[in-house]
Amino acid sequence: MRDFGIVFRAELVRKIRSRLFWLATAAGMIAIAFLIEAPLFFSSIVQSSASDVILAGPPALVARAKTLMERHKDYRVVATYATLPHRVTPAFLAAHGKAGAAIAIAERGGRLRLDVYPRDLSAFDGAQFRDLVPLNIELGTGLSATRIDRALAIERTIHPIDAKFADTQTAALAHGLAFGMVFVLYLAIIIASQSVMSAVAEEKTSRIAEILVATISPTNLLAGKVFASAVVALVQVGSWLATAAVLVPFAASSPVLASSIAPKAHGPAAIGLDPLLALYFAAFFILGYLQYATTYAAAASLVSRTEDLGIVTTPVIFPVVGAFFVAQYGLVEPNAPIVVACSFVPFLSPFVMFTRVAISSVPAWQPIVALVLDALAVVVCFWAAGRIYRVGMLLYGRLPSPRQILAALRS
Amino acid sequence: MLVVDRLARAFGNVAAVRDVSFAVPRGTTFGLLGPNGAGKTTTMRAILGIYAPDAGSVTWDGAPIDLAVRRRFGYLPEERGLYGKMKVKEHVVYFARLHGLGPRDASTRADAWIERLGLDAYAGRACGELSKGNQQKVQLACAVLHAPELLVLDEPFSGLDPVNAATMLACLRDLAAAGTTLVLSSHQMFQIEDACRAFCIVVAGEVRAHGTLAELRAAFPTRTLRVAPDVPAIRAVFAAAGAREPERTGDAELAYELDARTDFTSLLHAAAAAGPLETFERREPSLQAIYLRALGEAAAR
Repeated sequence: MRDFGIVFRAELVRKIRSRLFWLATAAGMIAIAFLIEAPLFFSSIVQSSASDVILAGPPALVARAKTLMERHKDYRVVATYATLPHRVTPAFLAAHGKAGAAIAIAERGGRLRLDVYPRDLSAFDGAQFRDLVPLNIELGTGLSATRIDRALAIERTIHPIDAKFADTQTAALAHGLAFGMVFVLYLAIIIASQSVMSAVAEEKTSRIAEILVATISPTNLLAGKVFASAVVALVQVGSWLATAAVLVPFAASSPVLASSIAPKAHGPAAIGLDPLLALYFAAFFILGYLQYATTYAAAASLVSRTEDLGIVTTPVIFPVVGAFFVAQYGLVEPNAPIVVACSFVPFLSPFVMFTRVAISSVPAWQPIVALVLDALAVVVCFWAAGRIYRVGMLLYGRLPSPRQILAALRS
Repeated sequence: MLVVDRLARAFGNVAAVRDVSFAVPRGTTFGLLGPNGAGKTTTMRAILGIYAPDAGSVTWDGAPIDLAVRRRFGYLPEERGLYGKMKVKEHVVYFARLHGLGPRDASTRADAWIERLGLDAYAGRACGELSKGNQQKVQLACAVLHAPELLVLDEPFSGLDPVNAATMLACLRDLAAAGTTLVLSSHQMFQIEDACRAFCIVVAGEVRAHGTLAELRAAFPTRTLRVAPDVPAIRAVFAAAGAREPERTGDAELAYELDARTDFTSLLHAAAAAGPLETFERREPSLQAIYLRALGEAAAR
């Protein structure tokens, strides 16, 4: 335990002092801030121009259309005219605060007739004029606006068959959150495992390994490295999640996204980060990371030159990529048999079980069993990696054959 | 005492060490000699517990080599490195801590060794910024800081310039004087002959010769005589004594190789009687000669 502590501390200090650690942490925070804020920024630009319209036509009809179009804040009527110019040009639209379109409105044969001159054809289609449907019905049937509104408003109650979420917005938010967290899990495991791999390869190629394995047990050496990298990765992931936790509520409360993200809740609760889910995230991250990091370390101990790392890491990268894809499928079908089965398989379960827990109601015993299996897998990984590491760190020249690796495991 | 008893270790189908036995009393400086691939490094790694023997045993003071024993050893491998970004003092302290020293003790001793090896100016610098010679000094400090009972050095003079080699030799002598048991291998015969009290010559994984220099010399079958001048009458005396064709070592000086059991006193009298003898010098075999003979015998087998 003492040796583990010394190696752990030394590795931690080395990694935290590394310029790369600070660069990667800062770059991650900036990237997350960009991912959260950029859509907001761009949508605000697009929204302000595309939703601004110029209306032209008989004043009474224009006034009625204006009321309907602005009722749900879908559009803002920036100017009204009796008629539009003979030729609507981009300059005309630009003169009205870069309006998205000029719309000539008229009644013909008891129906509403629109002539639309959009600045961007892709930004306008028929569905965007649903706000004017009541006016069309009013002109055709002579019914009062109140009766039309009542007729269009269908009373509905959604009864979730999965008790996990109270409404569709929360469920949609949870899917987004699960995707984000699985992605962060994937990134963190890949980054941290490769950090361990580089450290092992450095020690082997610089020949420090021989002195180290002559002094302390390879398992302590391996464990010290792996856990130090885990702490560093947790700090990194924590800083990224904290960035998201600070920025997402702001994004959610923005008028632009308010209607689509979180119309009811603002603040940290808006992102729906259940403390139990955070706990599962930490548990699956640590166990998943330990499985992958020990495997990567064992693989790295087999190469003599850092240039050869790619040869041994290619096979061990498949499970993590595969697990990520199964988790994506799990976002759509969390209870599909293959997803349920994979959620108990070590190396896959940190991604798949976490996804299932995040977006569906999973019986409590299932994540617990998955965590126990993961913990057992960690023990096996440390045992096997320690043996391969001990032999691998002193092997130079050609990569050892599978038979030699098996012999190391049996030794 | 270090006892290596009938040690054998193979890697796949290759037997790196077949049958190596020797004993090194405490406080002795012991030289392990042999050509490349002879099994020296494997033997050293087995002594350090890095490799478990396939057969035979290694003990220190009668106890097998476990982690607790290993921690009291020091090791300087042939190919060695440092953490390039770690500072010199931190590096030395880290290895001292791994060898069981407390943080304060490790720091105090690190300061002392850094000063002793002339590294004071570099203590706060990253190891990767140091010259090769200074990096080797840091490696030495890492190996000896915890005052090991047994220090194993694989080719310690390899790659050192004469000044650093002299520093290394001086350090090894100091350690030996302080009672440290040293096991070292080297191809630098004059340095190892000077530094060691006992030797073991290993060829193809087997011991070919073993003992102190005096014992090895005693077992050497021939002696070399330097004789001058080169006159036919004196040549005839040596030919009669069974000497092979002499080698010319100077303008008028010849080197004769004779059986070690030859009566050199009688031979001196006979040579002096045969001509104007100016030089008659019996030379003991050097470690180099003993080593080369052991290699030759191994090749002849």
